[in-house]
Amino acid sequence: MSERRGFSAAPLVGALSDAWNEIRVHRLRVLLSLIGIGVAVAALTAVVAIGEYQKQLTAEQSDRYGGRVATLTMNVGSSDGSPIDWAKLDAHVERVSERYSFSRTSRLVDGTVNSPVQMPEGVTPVLTRLYDADYAVIHRMTVIEGRTLQASDAELLAPPVVITEYMWELLGSVPLSARPTLTMTGDLAGTYPIVGVLPKEGVWDTNVRVDMLYDSYLARAGALPNEASVWREFWVPPEIVNDLAPVLAMDLRAGLDPSLELSLSRSDWASQPGYADSALVFQLVSGAIAGLVLLLGALSLVNVQLVAMRQRIREIGVRRSFGATSGRVFTSVLLENLVATTVAGVVGIMLVVLIMRSEWVVDAMFQGLQDTPPFPFGAALAGLIASVVVGALAGVIPALVALRVKVIDAIRF
Amino acid sequence: MTESLVALRDVSKSVRLPDDSMLQILRGVDLEVAAGDHVSIVGRSGSGKTTLLNILGLLDAPTEGEVLVGGESTARLGAGALDRLRGRQVGFVFQQFNLLAGRSALDNVIVPLSYATGAYFWQRKQLATEMLERVGLGHRLTSTPDQLSGGEQQRVAIARALVRKPRLILADEPTGALDLDTGATIMSLLDEVAAESGAALVTITHDLHVAARARRHYRLDAGVLQVADLDRAFAASTLAGGEGLA
Ligand SMILES: Nc1ncnc2c1ncn2[C@@H]1O[C@H](COP(=O)(O)OP(=O)(O)O)[C@@H](O)[C@H]1O
Ligand SMILES: [Mg+2]
Repeated sequence: MSERRGFSAAPLVGALSDAWNEIRVHRLRVLLSLIGIGVAVAALTAVVAIGEYQKQLTAEQSDRYGGRVATLTMNVGSSDGSPIDWAKLDAHVERVSERYSFSRTSRLVDGTVNSPVQMPEGVTPVLTRLYDADYAVIHRMTVIEGRTLQASDAELLAPPVVITEYMWELLGSVPLSARPTLTMTGDLAGTYPIVGVLPKEGVWDTNVRVDMLYDSYLARAGALPNEASVWREFWVPPEIVNDLAPVLAMDLRAGLDPSLELSLSRSDWASQPGYADSALVFQLVSGAIAGLVLLLGALSLVNVQLVAMRQRIREIGVRRSFGATSGRVFTSVLLENLVATTVAGVVGIMLVVLIMRSEWVVDAMFQGLQDTPPFPFGAALAGLIASVVVGALAGVIPALVALRVKVIDAIRF
Repeated sequence: MTESLVALRDVSKSVRLPDDSMLQILRGVDLEVAAGDHVSIVGRSGSGKTTLLNILGLLDAPTEGEVLVGGESTARLGAGALDRLRGRQVGFVFQQFNLLAGRSALDNVIVPLSYATGAYFWQRKQLATEMLERVGLGHRLTSTPDQLSGGEQQRVAIARALVRKPRLILADEPTGALDLDTGATIMSLLDEVAAESGAALVTITHDLHVAARARRHYRLDAGVLQVADLDRAFAASTLAGGEGLA
């Protein structure tokens, strides 16, 4: 039998198997010292994951309100308070827009128009939102039933509408396959097929609102009410939005009635500095707490290992007398902690993944989240890195103690 | 005498005591151990036997003089090289067995092989099993030290010392913690397996009967190593009506 010199995998394999045996023999001690690490890693992973889900939720909500990246919103007011001729303004904007060939653009009337709708308890004024078909795309609109409004809807004699989930519930949650309709009175008298239901943003969401195409409304009512105010949204590639906005604003202002004041600004979340900050603050604060737990876990691990080290000095002496180099002893003790914390970390991470993968938990924690993202890989990675780093830090101290063991003193009786 | 395995040349060892005085443990020790040799060293407690053995086993370095392994000085070898050389060449048997607590007999015997390379490392489990079978413990592979008697523990220790086929076995009072009968059995076993593998055996002991098994006999007195006359020692111990040399 020969013992080769030069490179050999034996020392590494040997150190790993030493470490694993040590953990196996002292599993209770190891287990107790690792509970803290496992919990802390789980907390850290959960925090990162929750942050990711929160980000997704915020992004979804922001898209719904402010439009996707990048959305420019135009707002026009008259300086002398006289009513605005929206049709004339429209024609002007259309003319300017032709030069830009925007992929998506939509008018929007929100918060200023109410329609008399026949509700179970009688005719009620219901907030009515008007827009063009592109609005559904710009705002990543989703429905829980049916569909969103589309351009061809404007040609139908009976204008389709989309209503909020709460309103749908008030109307008896009639499945759309049964072709429910809304009835309106006054200028808007007639029936309106309900083609879509917008989801609640949470159990608390009791919005009652009807969405209708801008053109459908005009066709029925003839004109917008005086109090209506029309916005216009342009969906622009984010790379050029900063260059494009001032030029577009200038073009839109050119030839405009001097009594009108036009503003054009970004409304999507990415343009709002506060958005990223709040998500970051949440992650930083909870991350700091998890880090603290991790630190405490690491300290208790170091403590347990140092106490155990006293009993192990003789054992290390014996190993040294049978050919273990001090480097090998150092590596074994270090690896032992590394392997142990990594195992604890992986268990913690798997626990969090299992919990967070359950639809029920995610739905309860993030009401209104529509596209549940897959478990964020970054969160699992963060947890894994944390457990390895803690293992290395907590392992170095006992490993240094092991390094300093004097063999002849350790085996002297 | 065949080739020199390990040799001490004019080795002295002194240590600094906590009160800053120097204690001279060994004085001008010369000793040559050849391959397959069998040497015994007797001496009273505190005479420096363990220190001498540690120097022979490269666990400790002399203050003066040199240790030669295979005719070459070890003075210039680094710590890691000494550790590896010790792992390849030397097997220890201790008075207190020094088995790893909580580990099975098999795991204990595997320890020296886990610091080896090549076949010794990769076939460590099989080699350790065979060695335990050789010392008569094939049926106790999974027993931990606290489940084994003193004699059985020392058998495990012998298996551990020999499993990597070292050329030098150093036994420090191997029967010191055993009763007379068990001690005699253990010594026969140690002699046998050492002879089988052609390893040199250096035994430190109080027990003249144990010492008598060796081919060459030394006596350590206040750090000075001399050739011992066992017949005279036996006579003296019989006169004193006691066991040993004290
Ligand atoms: N590192 C040390 N520091 C202080 N004293 C030591 C040291 N090593 C050995 N001694 C002393 O040297 C003497 C010889 O020790 P040792 O070699 O163990 O003797 P033996 O094995 O013959 O009983 C003892 O008195 C012991 O206390
Ligand atoms: Mg001694």
